[in-house]
Amino acid sequence: MASPLQQFEIKTIAAANIGGVNVSFTNSSLFMVIAITAITAFLLLGVRKRALVPGRLQSMAELMYEFVAGLVRDNVGSAGRAYFPFIFSLFMFILFCNTIGLIPYTFTVTSHIIVTFALAIVVFIGVTIVGIAKHGMKWFSYFFPPGAPIYMAPLLVPIEVLSYLARPVTLALRLFANMMAGHTMLKVFAGFVIALGVAGVAPLAILIALYMLELIVAVLQAFVFAILTCLYLHDALHLH
Amino acid sequence: MTKRGPDEKKPSLSDLRGRIARVREREAAEANRQGRASLSGGGVVLRVGIEMAGTLAVGVAIGWGLDRWLGTGPWLMVVFLFLGGAAGVLNVYRAVSNIGLAPGYRFPGADDKSGDGEGDQKGKSG
Repeated sequence: MASPLQQFEIKTIAAANIGGVNVSFTNSSLFMVIAITAITAFLLLGVRKRALVPGRLQSMAELMYEFVAGLVRDNVGSAGRAYFPFIFSLFMFILFCNTIGLIPYTFTVTSHIIVTFALAIVVFIGVTIVGIAKHGMKWFSYFFPPGAPIYMAPLLVPIEVLSYLARPVTLALRLFANMMAGHTMLKVFAGFVIALGVAGVAPLAILIALYMLELIVAVLQAFVFAILTCLYLHDALHLH
Repeated sequence: MTKRGPDEKKPSLSDLRGRIARVREREAAEANRQGRASLSGGGVVLRVGIEMAGTLAVGVAIGWGLDRWLGTGPWLMVVFLFLGGAAGVLNVYRAVSNIGLAPGYRFPGADDKSGDGEGDQKGKSG
């Protein structure tokens, strides 16, 4: 029986090495390309007809667009409209990576912490730059709660800075842990189905329920990633 | 009769417009609250655990790195372990009280994206 962790193995498809850096095209890269192609195809085919009364595909594309637009409007406010393309791309990429990974024989890009951390660190650095560019030195007042006595600063400032620095880590960890745990659990129960023979019907039933749960988790984690990006952006734009 | 007809209609139309506006407002508020609720409802335990452990790990990592750089034995790591723990508790508090993982305390009244009354309600429902 294959190890439940075998599914996370990175396989090199086309080896490449530029200046001592391994830039091979792997199965992870392949599924990122597939996700991006699927998103592009979905949106382009969806809006191709530009019908006043949308068809099925156009409805889905518009639904996605309006969902993220509502998310940005509710959580960042009108100032966040400029950042809508970024949040929409982020949401769609994570959503498609998560859901494509649930198809058997595929690879889940977001089950590797380096991928989710790369996404999170881009959000973190971007939000920090937006905050500093908008507020200048006043942005650093962020780390001292207003109204606290000044002699508490040596204790409060390090705690607030740590709390801020933990953002990309927890953001990355949340998506990664959910995806990896879910996929490992699916494989473990799938292994039981074969090993138990006829009695394998019981784990098969659990497997179906788990699969439904994973589908929810895949969509929910894309949503959580997007909404937390929105909240961080809101903080950077408005301070407190 | 002919004069009273339009007179009766006018107030009823503006009344209807006001009613539609009120319903829309309520729906928007409801949708907003539901969005927040589903975020805090989805896997709250895992979220809180990750928040706590992740922040603590960041604290320990920074302390360890500073120790290696400055050569100050285990002391900075010990200090940052406690600071990381405090920051973790702070993050958990912010996550569950629906203020939204933000550094700095945000008071409901100071929230500019929604009315102060609504902000208050959101804080309590979380």
